[in-house]
Amino acid sequence: MAPEPLLTAENLHLSFGTATALDSASVEVHAGEVLALMGPSGSGKSTLLHCLAGILHPDQGRVTYAGRDLTAMHDDERSALRRSEFGFVFQFGQLVPELTCLENVALPLRLGGASRRAAQRSAAAWLERLEVSDVAHKRPGQASGGQEQRVAVARALVTRPRVVFADEPTGALDTLNGERVMQLFVAAARETAAAVVLVTHEPRVAAYSDHEAVVRDGRVRTREYAR
Amino acid sequence: MTRWAADLALGMRLSVGGGRSGWARLTMIAVGVGLGVTMLVVAASIPAVLEARADRAADRSVESQQPLSLSSPTLLTTEIRSVFHDQAVNGRMLQPEGDGAPLPPGVSRQPAPGEVIVSPALDRLLASDDGAALQGRWGDRVVGTIGEEGLAGPGELTFYLGTDRLTAGTANRIQSFGGAETYEEGVDVVLMLLALVGMVVLLLPVAIFVSTAVRFGSENRDRRLAALRLVGADVGMTRRIAAGETLAGTLLGLAVGAVLYVVAGQVAGYVVPGNMSFYPGDFRPLPTLAVLVVVLVPVTTVLVTLSALRQVLVEPLGVVRRGSERRRRFWWRPVFPVLGVALLHPLVTGLDDSLGNQVMIVAGLVFLLVGVALILPWLVEAAVRRLHGGGVAWDLAVRRLQLDSETAVRAVSGIAVSVAGLIALQGLVGAIGALSAESQADTSRFQASVLDIYPGAEADEVWVRELSQAEGVEAVGTLTSVWVWPDPGAEGGAGAGDGPASGGEILVESGTCEVLAQEAQLGACADGDTFVVAPDGTAVPAAGSSYVLADGSGEGTGDGTGDGTLWTLPASAETVAPPKGGVAAMGGAPARILVTPAALGGIKLEPESVTAYAALDPAVPDALEHLRTAAGEVDPRAYASPIAQSTAALGDIRQVLLVGTVALLVMIGASMLVNVIEQLRERRQLLAVLVAFGTRRRTLSGSVLFQVAIPVVLGLALAVLTGSGLALALQTAVEAPLTFDWAGVGATSGAAALVVLLTTAAGLPLLWHLTRPGNLRNE
Repeated sequence: MAPEPLLTAENLHLSFGTATALDSASVEVHAGEVLALMGPSGSGKSTLLHCLAGILHPDQGRVTYAGRDLTAMHDDERSALRRSEFGFVFQFGQLVPELTCLENVALPLRLGGASRRAAQRSAAAWLERLEVSDVAHKRPGQASGGQEQRVAVARALVTRPRVVFADEPTGALDTLNGERVMQLFVAAARETAAAVVLVTHEPRVAAYSDHEAVVRDGRVRTREYAR
Repeated sequence: MTRWAADLALGMRLSVGGGRSGWARLTMIAVGVGLGVTMLVVAASIPAVLEARADRAADRSVESQQPLSLSSPTLLTTEIRSVFHDQAVNGRMLQPEGDGAPLPPGVSRQPAPGEVIVSPALDRLLASDDGAALQGRWGDRVVGTIGEEGLAGPGELTFYLGTDRLTAGTANRIQSFGGAETYEEGVDVVLMLLALVGMVVLLLPVAIFVSTAVRFGSENRDRRLAALRLVGADVGMTRRIAAGETLAGTLLGLAVGAVLYVVAGQVAGYVVPGNMSFYPGDFRPLPTLAVLVVVLVPVTTVLVTLSALRQVLVEPLGVVRRGSERRRRFWWRPVFPVLGVALLHPLVTGLDDSLGNQVMIVAGLVFLLVGVALILPWLVEAAVRRLHGGGVAWDLAVRRLQLDSETAVRAVSGIAVSVAGLIALQGLVGAIGALSAESQADTSRFQASVLDIYPGAEADEVWVRELSQAEGVEAVGTLTSVWVWPDPGAEGGAGAGDGPASGGEILVESGTCEVLAQEAQLGACADGDTFVVAPDGTAVPAAGSSYVLADGSGEGTGDGTGDGTLWTLPASAETVAPPKGGVAAMGGAPARILVTPAALGGIKLEPESVTAYAALDPAVPDALEHLRTAAGEVDPRAYASPIAQSTAALGDIRQVLLVGTVALLVMIGASMLVNVIEQLRERRQLLAVLVAFGTRRRTLSGSVLFQVAIPVVLGLALAVLTGSGLALALQTAVEAPLTFDWAGVGATSGAAALVVLLTTAAGLPLLWHLTRPGNLRNE
């Protein structure tokens, strides 16, 4: 018997004004797997990712995480879930500019109630794993784009989330840096058995995934295995 | 030149073509500049207002030494001074001597005896419930109102009372109103200080506010400029385009300012205290100052924009902020406050009303208060560098301030400067109040007095009888005063060559022990006792000196029993000190003799003045006003006042100060709100990301609050220190007792803190809106 999916979206509908962003979109993510959501710009892949992460609330349909209906949860519950079980990586890192890289990585742990010392100890370990210990005490603006993105990956993984959502994580990087970030990201995610939902329009990045779903006009048109 | 104009025009076009956020930015700049311009032009209109009021007051003035021609009819007139609930109510008695007697401006006919023509404000007051205690003070027959040309302002309380009891000896005889000799009166140093400090305190934050307003949305603008760099604009062009954007907002701001000014002109004259009121027509700026505002405000805003641009590097691929890691240098910052303190030295060494002194004071205040604005950024930076620990909200706020405190500090500078100035002003006003309080006489027996300088022979009985019937008056005692001469027949004159008794007049005042206790520090007193009041440094009349209590002329002195009645200062006369804190105690007052009725041996003095002291029932709230009205009914020329020095003038100043403070705090609040909104909008991407990974709203709200609160607390501490120091210097300048006005400092700082709290709270809905997880979609 196939294992239960960790995260599912069933028949999601979402409109912004007159524009339909999602139209009966359905997708499943299993624990420990990497799912790539592909598609052209404006196809709805980021919107789908935000719905899966409980950031956006669909007009219709249901998102289930570990058997719990995200769409029925209160905003505070979803926030708590994002704090403890989800991690995020964005295109531009989106690190807090006034905090050092170490403090940025420690931030999710501190938000979860960890002490400063414990949070920074874990953060330092993650920075080392992602090979950016040298920028630990620098502010984001003082690091390169590739380094910033690796710090962002560390921040996403430091809480050992069960799902990491990555929206164009290499979109702002050159090929070489992008490759390195993806290698480290996917390796670290697999080590922690985290599922990854990856939004990208680059086949090169999608190649790191276990499964691939193509989103077009708000629908998940095809679903195929990348390997 | 054409290139410059084209760049400026492009900037102006960009500012209005920026969509909703562009218009929001333009509106914020326009409103900010508009408020600032309004305050500046209002300040530029004050001279015209004062001049118009003074002109109308001069037109109704009375020239006491007017040369009279035989052909023109004359008018007898005298001034009446009164007060109602701390507001001056001054008027004139009019007694025409034939048809065609001159009419005061704004009056169409002479009031008949007993008729009153009142100002519209006084008319309204008399008709209102509030004015009940005023009714009948000058008779009940109001027969008309005074026109605008006869009033200093619409809120003025004044009147003309017809009479038939004036004589040439007790009034001025005139053939026309106006033309009273105008002479350069020395400006009261205290008022001058109040005006100078008030002007600097109100206008300096305006400059800070305007400079804050023009920076609104500057990050968006910088990104726009970077895009222009990408398509080929050079650094000079981007600066001119930025200047054009600012100019568009500023020009719109000038228009907003003009509209607000017109509105202010319609209402300002009615919201200031009645005796400072003015007509909308009086409210016009001095042309030179208006032109200066119209020219200097745009120039300043452009300079502020260019100065802000120097701190960023606008490159084709983005904007880099310069120097965020560079520490602020301290060494040059104290130069301003030190220079300010040096310029303010006349406050301590001695102040006069010369132009040089005024310039020094204004420059000193500006330097000192600007010094506050300059030291604050360094202080905040130095303080936050030492802050660490705490929760996530505190940490986020502190780290943000450590990275960039400039935006937060800029807005707080306005608060610090305003609060410092207001504390100094309140310290000065409070000290003047304390100065008045210090000179208060004893109010344990009597609380009010009525001075009659035109008393009839039976005046003391009349005053006791009439005033005793007034509501709230419990007891009345009179003091009869008369100047007497030494007996010319006595060898060597009275006192044998000692001081005033050696040939000069001396004041003899008669009353019961209770009444005399108002005039001197009496010990035991019984009817039949005599006292000599001798302030320090005055000669004491010798016991046994004889005085003529009537000179036979029928004027001045007289005893009522016959001419030339002699009275001898008994040997038992005790020398006593003047009342504590009284005018006599300050020196310069002559010696006086106080006698109880029995000590006069049945001689009845023909008074030159009578003072009726009244004990008021504290349970009757308007007892003083009822007393004044009763006194007005007996003789409108009698002046009734509380024995405790009135601080009515201070009340007006406090009201103006309150209006100014409120206006300032509203402006600061607007400035802070702009700042908070700007910071939130510029950080909306980051806020959305923070929320995406589960940051609680209260953590973000706390962070915003701490970011505002830390600089505000430091700014207020600096302001309290500077303001209190300045207040002490101002108190020294007016020779007032040095006091620290805890209540004033607390109220001002508290109000400023409240404004900050409310402003930050007003920004929180935007924070919550921006941090809705859905906003991440915009990333």
